[in-house]
Amino acid sequence: MQDKRMTLKESVSAFVTDGCSFALGGLSAREPMAICYEIIRQRKRNLTLITDSSCDAAELLIAAGCISRIECAYIWIGVIGSGVNYRRAVEKGLPNFIEVEEYSNFGMAARFLAGSMGLPFMPIKTMLGTDIVRVNPRIKVIQDPYGSGPVALVPAANPDVALIHAQRADKAGNAQLWGCYVNDDIMARSAKHVILTCEEIVSTSEIRRHPNMTVIPGYCVSAVVEVPFGCHPVSFHGYYWMDIPFRREIIAASATMEGIKAWLEEWVFGVEDHAAYLKKVGRERLLALKTLEVENYQIPKIIDEEGV
Amino acid sequence: MHYAQDYTVTELMGATVARQIRNDDLVFIGIGLPLIAGVCAVSTHAPEAILIYEGGGVGARSLRIPWTIADSPTAERALAAGPLWRVMSDLQRGFVTLGIIGGAEVDRFGNVNTTVIPGENGSYTRPKIRLPGSGGANDIASCAERIVIMMRLEKGKFVERVKFITSPGYLTGPGAREMAGLRGKGPVMVVTNKCVFKFDENTKEMYLAALFPGVTVEEIREYVDWDLKVAPQLEEVEPPTEEQVKVMRTFDPLGIVLGGSKKGKIETFDDYYQKMRQSYTVARQNLQL
Repeated sequence: MQDKRMTLKESVSAFVTDGCSFALGGLSAREPMAICYEIIRQRKRNLTLITDSSCDAAELLIAAGCISRIECAYIWIGVIGSGVNYRRAVEKGLPNFIEVEEYSNFGMAARFLAGSMGLPFMPIKTMLGTDIVRVNPRIKVIQDPYGSGPVALVPAANPDVALIHAQRADKAGNAQLWGCYVNDDIMARSAKHVILTCEEIVSTSEIRRHPNMTVIPGYCVSAVVEVPFGCHPVSFHGYYWMDIPFRREIIAASATMEGIKAWLEEWVFGVEDHAAYLKKVGRERLLALKTLEVENYQIPKIIDEEGV
Repeated sequence: MHYAQDYTVTELMGATVARQIRNDDLVFIGIGLPLIAGVCAVSTHAPEAILIYEGGGVGARSLRIPWTIADSPTAERALAAGPLWRVMSDLQRGFVTLGIIGGAEVDRFGNVNTTVIPGENGSYTRPKIRLPGSGGANDIASCAERIVIMMRLEKGKFVERVKFITSPGYLTGPGAREMAGLRGKGPVMVVTNKCVFKFDENTKEMYLAALFPGVTVEEIREYVDWDLKVAPQLEEVEPPTEEQVKVMRTFDPLGIVLGGSKKGKIETFDDYYQKMRQSYTVARQNLQL
């Protein structure tokens, strides 16, 4: 079995090139933060973000000047904050203007679904009659040839690379996901490459015990990186709780361009890698987040203690 | 049943929307304020209602409001957990009977804008104010059998015509949804922090249906940009029950959706950690698990 393990640094160098397009898994929860920090650290430029809805990860990538174009349904922090960095880029061109091509969440899901099925487009029954269709020439409203009335066609999405964080995977990238996983399964299948980060690398025989849990098969995956706390400060089902105070610090820093630049300097450029970032966050704090999650949201043990 | 004596306007909004959820509803919950209404309903009068979150969770029984629509509580004691595209396909298929969405700007026909405020010299691409975009709100508004919109009544937000239709209400009026090919029946109610609006069956126009205690018709008119029609028999909105208020506060111990009580304010990480642990203990007691 092919061993696809890499470091974060190696995987970003190999598959995230200036000017490429990429998809982001998760939706605030389970967003692959560690690899996004590494993309910022490597100062990637002119990237196209193709996503359903993205929150913390997109905000930081925008603030760092990595992104020049977004195809999406929603960019915002949501519930505890707003999309300050997104707004500043679109409204004022700081740090750079961003071109936006937008859809609804189901519109984006249908794009990834088409991409994952090897189809050129997908017909759906939403977005009809609205200004989303008016401002986006890539959504084509046609009459269903079978007679159900108008349908909106959305083009397949096939990003150059998808960034997905899984609970566990083997070294070939067979990935097992738990909880609500947004569009991670079809994003992975639609992309030309997948960098699969995970909390734990486990043996292939462990994967084989629970094949129903495998949401992304290894044949979609180009690189596997073990990254504990790979979603901090957002939550990851069964592993750690959301670090709201930390997110609020990012939101507060985002109030000005200087503020978020200083934050990135301290927390991203100022640390060597994710291990150093975690050390800076602090072991006790991370353990507290783990305790809160595990006390309340455990992945149930599917097999008994004897392993039957 | 006792009505609460001590409650906030946001709690009244939450209780009002929760009451729209029937025991046999399959409810698609949008981000923001709608989060509190869903969890309130299933823990009080509608225990059989099934909540769907677009991150992929179906039928959760959570001990706090989710902080995003893929946060762990969306799968807590749920009936099913999986991907977004699957639950949104179920929505398009026609299973969902009620959708609850928020908004930034709404118009006479219940169309909602959460995309851009272009401003005087602005455009869609270079707007004065960029908003988050649809997320799943358009899909919910397109497909769910009936829609409830939750948003605060503020000057300039209730307009004759929204500057950008993100989520469809009745579009340009009677028959327009059907012409466009939309299957859901459209909005039935807008719940604000001062009143409840409904939609006329024939004209599809939003009208004032009920007032919050102490609010007058004249006050509402000041916030609404079109010639607002008023129901012949204007009702007063029912206050929340003690149980509803208790449940909502239990679910949102930090006041993240309900808003700022000093009790919920987080000072330090340790404070956050302690409040979270304590809140789950309280939730388990209050909800008698």
